[in-house]
Amino acid sequence: MKNNNIIKRIAKFSSSAVALMACFLLASCDPTIDSLKFDLPEANSKEDLNPPIANFAATETADYLTYTFSNTSSSATDYTWNYGDGSSSVGKDGSNTFPAEGTYTVSLTAIDKLGKTSTFTSDIVVVKPIIPPSIIPDILNGDFSDGQDNWKFSSFSGGTTSPYNTSGDGSWLNYDGSDNGSKTAGAKWTQSTSAGVYTSSKTRYAYQAILITPNTPYILEYEYAIKTEAEQDGVAAGGNRIIGEILNGQFSDGADAIASSTAGPLAQDVGLKTLGKTTFTKVTKLFTSNATGAVSILIYGVTDVDAYVDNVKVYPAN
Amino acid sequence: MKYIKYITVILTVGVFASCSDFLSPAPSSSITSGNYYTTAEELETGLIGAYAAVKGINDYDKDNNHGVQYEFYVTEMRSDNTSTKSPDSEDASDAGQLESFSVLPTNSFVLNYYSSYFQIIYRANVILENLGVVTDTNKAAALEGEAKFLRAYAYFNLVRLFGDLPLINRVISPAETDIQYTRVSSSVIYDLIVADLDNAVSGLDPDITGFATYKTRASKAAAQALLAKVHLTIGTPDSYTKAQLLCESIINSQKFSLKDDFHDVFYTELNSEIIFAIGYENGIQNNSQLFSSEWMNAVGRTSGVNYATSDVIAAIDANGGQRVADSYREDPISTGTIRYQVAKYFPNGENGGIDGKTFTGLPRLAGNDWIILRYADVLLMHTEAIMAGASETSASTAVASFKLVRDRAGLNTPNSIKKTDLLLERRVEFAFENQRFFDLVRFGEAESVLRAFSLANDFTFDSTDLLLPIPQNEINLSKGAMNQNPGYN
Repeated sequence: MKNNNIIKRIAKFSSSAVALMACFLLASCDPTIDSLKFDLPEANSKEDLNPPIANFAATETADYLTYTFSNTSSSATDYTWNYGDGSSSVGKDGSNTFPAEGTYTVSLTAIDKLGKTSTFTSDIVVVKPIIPPSIIPDILNGDFSDGQDNWKFSSFSGGTTSPYNTSGDGSWLNYDGSDNGSKTAGAKWTQSTSAGVYTSSKTRYAYQAILITPNTPYILEYEYAIKTEAEQDGVAAGGNRIIGEILNGQFSDGADAIASSTAGPLAQDVGLKTLGKTTFTKVTKLFTSNATGAVSILIYGVTDVDAYVDNVKVYPAN
Repeated sequence: MKYIKYITVILTVGVFASCSDFLSPAPSSSITSGNYYTTAEELETGLIGAYAAVKGINDYDKDNNHGVQYEFYVTEMRSDNTSTKSPDSEDASDAGQLESFSVLPTNSFVLNYYSSYFQIIYRANVILENLGVVTDTNKAAALEGEAKFLRAYAYFNLVRLFGDLPLINRVISPAETDIQYTRVSSSVIYDLIVADLDNAVSGLDPDITGFATYKTRASKAAAQALLAKVHLTIGTPDSYTKAQLLCESIINSQKFSLKDDFHDVFYTELNSEIIFAIGYENGIQNNSQLFSSEWMNAVGRTSGVNYATSDVIAAIDANGGQRVADSYREDPISTGTIRYQVAKYFPNGENGGIDGKTFTGLPRLAGNDWIILRYADVLLMHTEAIMAGASETSASTAVASFKLVRDRAGLNTPNSIKKTDLLLERRVEFAFENQRFFDLVRFGEAESVLRAFSLANDFTFDSTDLLLPIPQNEINLSKGAMNQNPGYN
């Protein structure tokens, strides 16, 4: 009897268990019951206090179309890059070669394992780097048509600021290289205005400061003529000559310029051709400009006889 | 009453004594940096102490500052030049983390370098704080220049390794936590570095001060060379021009020249090529260095760090010319795989004999100086300044400087130098001199080169690995005020 009772109870219990299970089954098949949906438990659960913060820095590479992107996001595990040109990637750091110049909006989406996302976008302006053309300096009064203008030191401790004797015995060529058909104006040196063994407070130096592109090859060009022995007697020690230099720097006092010349100019040409008055020799002297591009031209003579200079130019070698 | 005379005596003595400083003594424990220095001589000893902070302590205690002796861990080992004896991406040791670009904020070498170099900054600040005791203006300018050189040197290395940093430009008290733990923008740090070095260049001019200069201490040329490197790192058109002029000033001074034999650069102390070196004395515990022995096999304690990678061996073999034999050698006792050791800093010039570990002296107390700036660096910086960030230069002045270094190695020089040529030349010339990592970053090639190197060696490299983590110690002490570098949290 007792056993019978137990069996009954079990039967009763199992039937209610079946009913309950059926309920569960039904409920589990019913997605509308929110509370039964899979979710993190509410009690003691914490919200995502460290959501991802997306960020990146773009760097142009040697190829101007290709950029690398350094991912500096925090609290993220997965990343999606969108480069704004249709291409994308999912690695941590990004890299992209853009199809052409233009502005591209690059976005990085950083995601953590809780599904929180953060997106950072930045516009990348892709431009071909411009190589600036070398400066073509404007040589003032390069043809000596304006007398001594623009060739004087502003001061000269122990010397004269007078740069040369003005002369009508310049080159037959105009500054643009065309034939003038007759002599043009020029600059002239004599024994009393010479440097070298004749250096005195009366020695004359033609000086002009110019600004050119730094560290770039340039050419110093001018014409010179020295009287022949038949035209005028006398040879200075070392030969009658016209010296053209590019100095490393610019100087307000002539004495400082001469000191720089003595220490070593960037370039120096010593012209020794004595072909006679108005028979000019063209000098083209290659030099590389200095770090700042602030240089100066210095021209002087060491000569017993009259010597002439005309058409001074400085221009890029390429 | 028989005690009355004693009492009188005691009282009298007491009264007399109270007239002296007896009641307000200067406690011996209160001699601080603020009141210790009273003369220029004392301040100069303090300055030597600041150099000692660069020099570091020769022992294996992680709590001691090892200064420049541990620099290779955070620079060369984080480049493609060196690794541990057996590179392993799974090696989570402090050295292993550095070679495989998986550095943790708790890395002890990172912390050691960080504290060592802030120690230099602290000691330099103490000197600057006490300049008032120097009456001679030239002496004051020279001491100021040296202290500022050291501060700039330390900050320059730190800012390149860690990025934004706390700006400590005076002696601060422990209570000033806002200064200690506020990271300011690296551009502000660079402003301080440039200002300090400008000051050092003018303050250390021997023509003005009349003081002798030492290659183991800051000099005008050292300040100029370091400033040139700072300007190259800043990398604006204006800074390239400044760097070029600084290099030309050193070159035109004609006080330095390349050694004909590459070997002599490293094994003739303070030779004509050295501009600034940290001086060590062999055999003296407190004055010697340990890195020479650490880079050998079973000579130092670690037996095998800063080993040359096969990557750098290939570069040196192809481009080293006459520099090869003095750059690296095969490890004589490595069994199995062939390994390569640095040959520039054998302890006191002894290479350890046939077994690589037999010495007449004490290799762990090596006296080899650590070269920080040498003339070849100035020449190649000159070329770099003229290149000014472009990919190539054919300027004759740039080629001429480059050629001097190539000529010494017995190699030809092209008429036009590409940026990649220059980077490679620097890699070979300065291999194992802790320049490679900084060069890669400065040339903008760190990401691509280190990524490819990591791929080939099974390491994981991310762009954020170019900055070291701020030591966790500092983050903790800051109570959350200091933020970590990206990629380390």
